Amino acid sequence: MSAQVPADLSEATVHEIANSRDEPDWLRETRLKALKAMDDLEMPDVIQTPGRRWTNLGQLDFDELADPLNQADDTERVTDEGVEVLPFTEAVEKHPKLMQAKFGSVIDPETNYLTALSVALFTTGTFIYVPEGVDAEDVTIRTEMNSRSLFSHTLVVTEDSSSVTILERISSGDAAVDGERYFSNLVEVDAAENSYVQYGSLQTLDEETYNVTLKRGDADVYSTINWIEGNLGSRLTRSDVETELNGDSSETKIVGAFFGHDDQHFDVNARVWHQAEHTTADLVTRGVLDDTARSVYEGVQDVGREAWDTSSYQRENTLMLSDDSEADASPKLIINNHDTEASHSATVGQVDREDLFYLTSRTIPERDARNMLVEGFFVPVLEEIAVEEFREDLERRISARLRE
Amino acid sequence: MSSDQDHLKETDTEARFEFKKEERSSFQAEKGLTEETIRVISEDKGEPEWMLKRRLRALEQFQEMPMPTDWPGQPDLSEVDVNEIIPYIRPDVETRESVDDWTDLPDDIKDTFDKLGIPEAEKNALSGVGAQYESEVVYQNMQEQWEEKGVIFCNMDEAVQEHGDLVREHFMTKCVPPSDNKFAALHGAIWSGGSFVYVPEDTTVEMPVQAYFRMNSEGMGQFEHTLIIAEENSEVHYIEGCSAPKYSAFNLHSGGVEVFVGEGAHVQYSTVQNWSKNTYNLNTKRALVEADGRMEWISGSMGSKATMLYPSTVLKGPGASDNHITIAFAGEGQNIDTGAKVYHNAPETKSTIESKSISKDGGRTNYRGLVHIADGAADSSTSVECDALMFDNESTSDTMPYMEINESTVDVAHEATVGKIGDEDVFYLQSRGLDDDDAKQMIVSGFIEPITEELPIEYAVELNRLVELEMEGSLG
Repeated sequence: MSAQVPADLSEATVHEIANSRDEPDWLRETRLKALKAMDDLEMPDVIQTPGRRWTNLGQLDFDELADPLNQADDTERVTDEGVEVLPFTEAVEKHPKLMQAKFGSVIDPETNYLTALSVALFTTGTFIYVPEGVDAEDVTIRTEMNSRSLFSHTLVVTEDSSSVTILERISSGDAAVDGERYFSNLVEVDAAENSYVQYGSLQTLDEETYNVTLKRGDADVYSTINWIEGNLGSRLTRSDVETELNGDSSETKIVGAFFGHDDQHFDVNARVWHQAEHTTADLVTRGVLDDTARSVYEGVQDVGREAWDTSSYQRENTLMLSDDSEADASPKLIINNHDTEASHSATVGQVDREDLFYLTSRTIPERDARNMLVEGFFVPVLEEIAVEEFREDLERRISARLRE
Repeated sequence: MSSDQDHLKETDTEARFEFKKEERSSFQAEKGLTEETIRVISEDKGEPEWMLKRRLRALEQFQEMPMPTDWPGQPDLSEVDVNEIIPYIRPDVETRESVDDWTDLPDDIKDTFDKLGIPEAEKNALSGVGAQYESEVVYQNMQEQWEEKGVIFCNMDEAVQEHGDLVREHFMTKCVPPSDNKFAALHGAIWSGGSFVYVPEDTTVEMPVQAYFRMNSEGMGQFEHTLIIAEENSEVHYIEGCSAPKYSAFNLHSGGVEVFVGEGAHVQYSTVQNWSKNTYNLNTKRALVEADGRMEWISGSMGSKATMLYPSTVLKGPGASDNHITIAFAGEGQNIDTGAKVYHNAPETKSTIESKSISKDGGRTNYRGLVHIADGAADSSTSVECDALMFDNESTSDTMPYMEINESTVDVAHEATVGKIGDEDVFYLQSRGLDDDDAKQMIVSGFIEPITEELPIEYAVELNRLVELEMEGSLG
């Protein structure tokens, strides 16, 4: 399903964005190349079973949704000692060579139609650089979206033996924009030898926004990339969180939580490629659905031919609070090396009736009892979140939604 | 018969399955598929007009549909060219009807099935046997006691003539319409042979009925159709076995299986397939299950170059249930893409899927499954369990389950594990005096035991023998 490039999206648009940001030629060229490639690129793969496509990305109408020259955001960046946390424009000036070398090295702009669109048009984003040996725990990026469309690109580069914990929050700002909106978020993490990156993201966009995010990490020898992906907001979210374990003994954990209500749609994907020896992956996702919300989950554990001594685990659990919701899941194992221990499991169910009975028999009103059990359901995911502030925020929002 | 038994004992399993016969036929269709060919086949069979019309409609659908190509990791079907296939061969037997006395068969056909142990099995354990050679069923027999109860077991072409109303109502209408997929359409156009089983209300057929399919000619396609109708509260166990020797040209097997499980009825369908390693095995098998009915699929997919086979069950009535037990073994150059599909369309329906796969010497196994729980299928439950065993690093094993859940009061669980054959287990067995091969053989036998214990003993033995042969790498 190849999409048409919107009529008013031209090279002139891209030049205007590059001019206004005074960008170097290489970045301008990268944008133009991405724009040109869009003609031949397809929408991201969506799971299809006979007679249906699980998410209809084809319905995104960029003639309506994209307003590239009027992008507005309010982004707050909090840095920690020894770490550079810079808006993109500043980063390009300050680290021209590093930026040129690393930009697009983990996510190829031509991955699909939506990544190319994002690279061609992005106006916000952050560069995070962690020099060798630096340990940082409190890097925060808070982005408020204040326009019809917003395209963001974040690049994280760690040097050897460094560590960093990054917390990203995406929300809608106060600026009134009527109608449907589009937020695009690309995050690349390049983790050098023996470095550690935890990247947490909490998305609470308003429910008229279409949200597409692709986060991908490249893990070198002995490095660890841990992702936490929390999705509560948006009309439709397509989220891809991926790690390539390219270095021996590298590790990754992808932890996901989503809570859909009304007619929200979440297409959540967690993927890991084991390409080197002694690599470990753990994929844990828990989601709750209410009203007519829908979730689509794909988890991929791909063990390459040379990935000797692999350990790979995946669990996905969905809780359905309403009869009108729908949960679709497809956990996939692709195994090309026999020296592998791999497993995956997925379950869908409702709040356990016996648990509910137990609590109500202890005089807890049924609604409260249900809410307690839903909160308890998220505990295994919350436990994985090292940043207290993030954990508490997510907990608070889950609990607020339950009491709506 | 005693000489047959002796013969069986003396012949090793490889000889049982790999022998070839001179091609013999009284009628052979032209290669390829045209309206003319279909008219010729239909006329040769003396079919009623409605069946010819269905064939021609299916042909149109086949021509309109694209080849399946866009499934992740699916077998390569580029070699499958229908224009290169001989769609129909009628073996050279005396009469149009299949014979019911074994000794009336021409010697070489009899000999073929003797080697496969069919009369042996019939005598010992079966209610009835059908044997198909190329495109036609050549032998069909049902024990009298079942016939008296109104059980019908005959070849499908005969059923079109003798039980026209039943067939017309059920044949590729509600269960597997030709529009289901390209190969179902192909099957609808050129099907030939196969079995028809009808079990009346409240009747239990205590011993299994069996059909055996044998492809002998080079470059042919086999397209047998199996239609099983089990009325209310009846019970039957149907077993099918298949084999074909290896030729340099590819063979195509594209069967169709339709099972109607009435209210409270119970049907078990067991297959052990051992196609030659140049056969493309592209089947459509489906069961429709009414309230409180039970369907059981047990399949062993052993041979073939590529298999795409996903037996499916539609649970239509409340309380209906389904069990799938499958095993796939892929050796060198083989791609076994198999799994199960279950549609829960009514409340309180249950399904379990247990899938085991073994890959070795570059073989590729794939579990591709779909569990669909429709809105309204409250209090349904399903559990899917896949285990894969890999022998070496040239082999591949993928698990791709799909779960579509539209109902909240359900219990859905999927689990899959992949592991290599345990070095410690091998070491333990070796330390007890077994050599490496025997130790591995024993581990594999243990791994597939949950499957073999569900099969009648003859089939369990056959499955184990086939696994042994695969392990030795001496087959094909």
